[in-house]
Amino acid sequence: MSTPNEEAGTVTRPITEAGSASQPIVEADRAVPLVHVSIASKVGSLLDPIGKEGAARMLMRLMRRSGAGRSAEQADELVDRIGGHLGAEVTRSTAGFHGGVIARSQAAFLDFTFESLCQPRFAPGEFEQLRQESLAECTERLDDDRARARHFWLRKLFSGHPYGRPSGGTPESLRRVELSDLEELRERLFTRQHMRFAFAGAVDEPMAREAAARFHEALPVGREVAVDPADPVTPNGRTLVFVDKPERTQTQIVIGCLGTHAHDEDHTALHVGNTVFGGTFTSRLMQEVRAKRGWSYGTSSAVPFDRRRQAFSMWAFPQASDAAPCLELELQLLERWVKDGITARELAAAKKYLTRSHAFAVDTAQKRAALRLDESIYALPPGYQGSYLERVAAVTLEQVNEAIRRRITPEHLVITVLGTHAEIGARIEAAIPRLASAETVRFDAD
Amino acid sequence: MSERSRTSLLERLNAGAPRYGKVEHLESIEFGQGARIERYRFENGLELLYLPDHSAPVLAYHTWFRVGSRHERPGKTGLAHLFEHLMFNEVEGLPPGGFDRKMEAAGADNNASTWLDFTQYQEAFPKGQLALVAGLEARRMNTLVLQQPQLDSEKEVVMNERRMRVEDDVEGAVDELLWKTAFDVHPYRWPTIGWMSDIEGFTTGDCLDFYRTYYAPNNACLVVVGDVTESKLLTTIAGAYGEIPPSTLPIEDIHPEPRQQGERRVEVEKPTPTEKLLIGYRGPALGDPDHLLVSLLMEVLCGGRASRLHKRLVRELSLASDLRASVGPHRDPSLIDIFVSAREGHRAEELLAIVDEELERLVREPVGREEIERATARAELGLLSGLETADGKASTIGFYETVLRRPAAPFERLRAMRWVEPGDLWRAARRYLRSEERTLVLVRPQAEVAA
Repeated sequence: MSTPNEEAGTVTRPITEAGSASQPIVEADRAVPLVHVSIASKVGSLLDPIGKEGAARMLMRLMRRSGAGRSAEQADELVDRIGGHLGAEVTRSTAGFHGGVIARSQAAFLDFTFESLCQPRFAPGEFEQLRQESLAECTERLDDDRARARHFWLRKLFSGHPYGRPSGGTPESLRRVELSDLEELRERLFTRQHMRFAFAGAVDEPMAREAAARFHEALPVGREVAVDPADPVTPNGRTLVFVDKPERTQTQIVIGCLGTHAHDEDHTALHVGNTVFGGTFTSRLMQEVRAKRGWSYGTSSAVPFDRRRQAFSMWAFPQASDAAPCLELELQLLERWVKDGITARELAAAKKYLTRSHAFAVDTAQKRAALRLDESIYALPPGYQGSYLERVAAVTLEQVNEAIRRRITPEHLVITVLGTHAEIGARIEAAIPRLASAETVRFDAD
Repeated sequence: MSERSRTSLLERLNAGAPRYGKVEHLESIEFGQGARIERYRFENGLELLYLPDHSAPVLAYHTWFRVGSRHERPGKTGLAHLFEHLMFNEVEGLPPGGFDRKMEAAGADNNASTWLDFTQYQEAFPKGQLALVAGLEARRMNTLVLQQPQLDSEKEVVMNERRMRVEDDVEGAVDELLWKTAFDVHPYRWPTIGWMSDIEGFTTGDCLDFYRTYYAPNNACLVVVGDVTESKLLTTIAGAYGEIPPSTLPIEDIHPEPRQQGERRVEVEKPTPTEKLLIGYRGPALGDPDHLLVSLLMEVLCGGRASRLHKRLVRELSLASDLRASVGPHRDPSLIDIFVSAREGHRAEELLAIVDEELERLVREPVGREEIERATARAELGLLSGLETADGKASTIGFYETVLRRPAAPFERLRAMRWVEPGDLWRAARRYLRSEERTLVLVRPQAEVAA
């Protein structure tokens, strides 16, 4: 079982990074009697075998319901009884358990988490039950227009790249997953090298440190797997993917290209530039699309990060009859943003907002722990989270506008529109200048 | 703050207070372990609930108006919600959008919401910006500017919101249909967002009337949680709101919903791949002691994967992929609603048969103590999770204050839960789970999208 661009090797050096078992992240605050626990691997769904996307997610869910030989019912009853919740979260770059519990039950909760991660049972009956539930959830998701539009958009943008493989899987890929895949995947994901630990809230600190050590001892040494795909390739020209669904009075529009990653020297500057373009309620997109024209209840743009270049995306959801002019306007706004950049006044306003509102990124112990965990999981530059305010303050107008021009490619875009093709398909195509290619897919296609 | 210090502070403040800015301390209310809410009232009727929280250098500032969609009338539904949108447009002395720009410059995260019984506006901001935020909120309470272009644009926005939440959303559309079918006379029968034709028809006159009637200090409660001293807070609020006069509030004219006579059933086709079932029973008001009991019954039935319906419908029989149940947290009696989404190839009637078996079981035999313990623990976890931020605390306090006039009610409920006996739940099940007083909505997939 292998994935592209994967390197593996036996690790001999000791693990002493922040978040590791020897240095677990602990953010104590007893204001509310709740304890938060995150136990996560530095590797995620990129390890899914090719054609078996969704395997890591199935693995986590199977582990969550089978620790210490319990049945799924027994596991759920136990967690509820102690006043806890434990969820499995899988992204391309991490897989882990994240949960919380009423402080009086933290010992029992840590035991439960330990048993889920270190003592799961891979019973064929429960595996098949899980597969059927996962397939039913895929059908359920067909009702979520926004998620469908984003699914097809990501698939096209990262076509041929590991980032284009859906972490949740598709019905077809979920049907291919076998129990042996999960057993093998577990050995690769959950090793001492990969695991990171964070505890927050009304936590008993010695108990948390002891728990991290206990996890460490129970996990295999394993090999450090560095999943390091090449940078994704910029799309060629403007491509439209029309997702056809009957009776849509409203459309979902996603426009975008490749964005940035945390080690990218343009990352902070692009983050500031995006705040002006589509990051707040008074952003250019919101003013032009919502405030002036009332075309969409909301519209925004985002530049999230991953280990490699992530996506830059814009999103709007106008009524069907406004979809073509709204799309046209969004493209014009994008072109103007890239060509002319932002103004000194906009930069000052964005910096003020980002600097002052940062207080809400760190106002609870759980949020502070999550930021530190991200720093460890994503191998962010040392002090990345702690230096946020300084980095934002240091960004210049030239840097922002250069970053936008360098990273955003208005002539090379993937545009996805979910709507009823018979009613608006032709108008949508006509609204995209220099459209290079167009395709139509059914909303329920795999 | 000691009583003596507070008396001295109020004497000092009231000596130089603006016209309606005199303030009195009404009560001190225990809010969980070691925390207290202080209740104040200003001369113009504005109430202030203050909860100090010095765990982070931030504040939450919520303004709760005692007006929601229950105060509308047929033909004018959705006005409370549309008005919530208009409150972000223009105030005297500030151009359109100026309100939000100033908030963002302060690092504030702001939002608003409207429901059946209330409309609320909220800001969370770093310590040090209180005077700016209070000043802006006071200005829009008193000097909002309503003009035709902004109204036209905002109506479009709200119609788009309706398309997102109702027209193109199966659960939203079905939920709206359930309440419309279940109620005959009470205003809970129309959706908070309003009927599309009503939204289209609103004029600036409608909006101005609504503003003058309901947006007044004596119809509002401020909830402030965070890192600020009582003295600074009272001085700031008196300065910001002290010149705003009270208004004459209309007497609420609502007819209680008559007892339902017989089961109601509707079927609809929707562009969804699977069948769905929504059931609404008559439920108690939030202030009724039975509300807590019915909430626990719904936890037993649908709360999480260890619940009875999840075990049977999702795991044992593989009939359903998703389900939920709740009892409306409203001022007047509303609905207990149960939603189930079928798996491919299964009918809503199959779901109904199993749901009925489990409901009958609740009526036929008492719930065991272990299940009550689990339901109680889940409820406690839910409450505590909502209290981790200043904003979460302000939301909790504002909601219970506005609906019940008891800001610490969630802790009262938590205490009451510890004394719930199986017999209490049994009685509640017998009282409320009556098939002759329920409404059913069955959703069929349109042929072209059936899975």
